[in-house]
This record gives sequence, C-alpha cells and structure tokens, in this order.
Amino acid sequence: MEEGVITIAEEEVVVHKNPIVIEGLPDVGLVGTIAASYIVEKMGYKEIGYVESDLFPPVMVIHEGKLENPFKIYGNEGVVVVLSEVAIPPNAVYPLAGALADWFNGIDAKLVISITGLPAENRMDIEKPEVFAVGNNEEAIKKLKDKQMELMEEGFIAGHYAMMLRECYKRNLNAISLLAQCFPVYPDPGAAASTIESLEKFVPLGIDVGELMEKAEEIKLKARDLMRQTALSAPEMQKGVEQDMPIMYR
Amino acid sequence: MEMERRIIRATWGYDGNLEPLYEVEDKEDEIRVTFDLPRVRKENVEINTTEDTVEVMAKMSDAVCWERWGSIQKKITFQAFRKQIRLPEPVDPEKASASFKNGILRINLPKVRRKVFIPIE
Repeated sequence: MEEGVITIAEEEVVVHKNPIVIEGLPDVGLVGTIAASYIVEKMGYKEIGYVESDLFPPVMVIHEGKLENPFKIYGNEGVVVVLSEVAIPPNAVYPLAGALADWFNGIDAKLVISITGLPAENRMDIEKPEVFAVGNNEEAIKKLKDKQMELMEEGFIAGHYAMMLRECYKRNLNAISLLAQCFPVYPDPGAAASTIESLEKFVPLGIDVGELMEKAEEIKLKARDLMRQTALSAPEMQKGVEQDMPIMYR
Repeated sequence: MEMERRIIRATWGYDGNLEPLYEVEDKEDEIRVTFDLPRVRKENVEINTTEDTVEVMAKMSDAVCWERWGSIQKKITFQAFRKQIRLPEPVDPEKASASFKNGILRINLPKVRRKVFIPIE
C-alpha cells in the first residue's frame, strides 16, 4: 500500500456501461450509509471492489467469519454503490474524493449521486423528512429541476460529499447530492428512506422502503457505534458550517 | 488519550445495559439533552435529575439478543439503556420537563442563573 495514497481495487471484472454511481459514506445521521446498505441488500448487488489507504484507520471487518475490507464497492454494469462501515478520517477526505472521482471517470459514470443528510433542529417533530438536492454543474442542476427536486439554493455544504461534487466538476462528471432532513448524531433510517424514494427519480430500482422502516429500530441499534465514530470527526469536517449563512447570501 | 479511551471504552455492559447515543446542547437559558432510545416506550423511561446530573434508565419493549457479540463472541442480551450525564452548568431539577417521540427523549433543564439587570448610563 503506497503511503498517503487511496487505492481502488477491483475484485470482479465488470464491463461498466455508463453506470450511475450511488455513494453512501458515513456522515450526519448515517443517512447515506443506511440507504446504500439497504439498496445493496435489496438489489442483491455483489461486491466488485474495495477502497484502501493508510489514511484510513487500521480496521478490517469480519462478517460470517470472513475477513472483509470495511470500505466496499458493490454493483453491476449499470449501477455502482460505494459504502463504508467505518468513519472517514478528515485527512482522507480530499485524496478520497479525488481518487473516487478519477475512478468514476475511468468507468465513464453517467451520474454520481451522493446520499447524505441535512441536520434539522426540529427533526423530532418532522414525520417525513424532506429531501434537498445540489448539483455540481448546469446539466446536473437541470436534471434536478426536471425531476422536480427541491434545490438547496444558498448555504454551505461540508464533508466528503461536498468535495465529491467539486472533484467531479473538475473532471466534467455530472454529480448531485441528495440531502434528507435528519438527526445529526442519531442514525436516521427515516431520512434514509426519503432519499431512496428520491433516488428512484434518477435510478428506477423499484425499492420498497417498507422493510427499512419496519427494521428502523434494529438498524438504529446496530448503527450506534458507527454513528459515534462519525460524530467524533464532525467538528473537524467543519459540519457546523452547514448551519451558517454565507456572506454572499442573495 | 482520546484514542486510548475510545479503544478500551465499551458502550455496553454484561449487565444487559446499553449506553444510548445522546446529545447535550447549551440553549442559553437551558441545557437540552436528547437520547436516542430505539425499542423503548414512553412508560418505560425513568429520568432522575440533580443540579448537575441527569440519569436515564429505559427498558426496551423487547430485549435484543446478538448471538456473537463483538469482542466476547458470545450470546448477549440487552434489555435496557442506562446513562448518567454530568451537566456543563447547574440546572433547576424542579423545573425540568421532558418529551418522548419516535424513540427520541428530549429533556429541557432550565439553568440556575440569577439575572442582574445592568442599566446603560
């Protein structure tokens, strides 16, 4: 493993056909991680690769006695899902976004969709979280408008998905982020369900979120430790800035 | 030191209690503490507050059992959440209030603070 470098290892030979990429990395409410895991489970996507780097914590995961990388890539020719079972350290954010964007460019991705959350102060009183969207270029924004998504018009965005939008922009890749209102430091399956429903507008996977909602409490219990790890790195990720107003507010 | 604490500090106990996720927020006149308590009903939550602590005990409606739990790799069952938090400022426990919705417990603890009006000369 080369020092300070992010490596994307492909385990299965997949002939990608302009795939749509769905990213669900640990962030507020673990919205992306919960949504991406559910998508992988429901669609039965197989593991096609993993991401490794000495910038990540020295952690492997054991599932059913088998040693696995915690940062995995799943999918098929048309859809690629990227998800991680460990929190991303802040110092890995820039190189990770760059390396993934390079790889997405290499597989000729049609659209990169990052799923995440938008902390809502009154989340406890919100029955169905709303989903907001950000696009990284005019074409992506047009796509969002065509699908009648609620656009995030002003504000700061921070963390991996913000850098992903930027790195994709630099490579002329269309990228969007779907952000559901969420609890910032509690796993939020309800917010994840809202993003999956919005995702359907871009990738018609036909996923029913009923089971996700039925299993919400079990998911919350299982996700406690990843949520704790993720919340620890939130200040360094500048997540607080998302509550601020930009000086150039129009 | 922080890393050492994270490595050795488990968020569960052999006594069947899990430590819940929680958040403490300073809201000017009050301290707001929220707890994430999945599988818990309102009637099974007990809150005890002093001037500088808040303790929550919450029994789950049905116990959760994991066949091969983490570092012990043995069957373990959890029936409740339990956590005591030291508050950043003294509060008036008599004036505390709480609400519970969809597994989230919110406790509002008014601060003990004597306000003095300062006139501008």
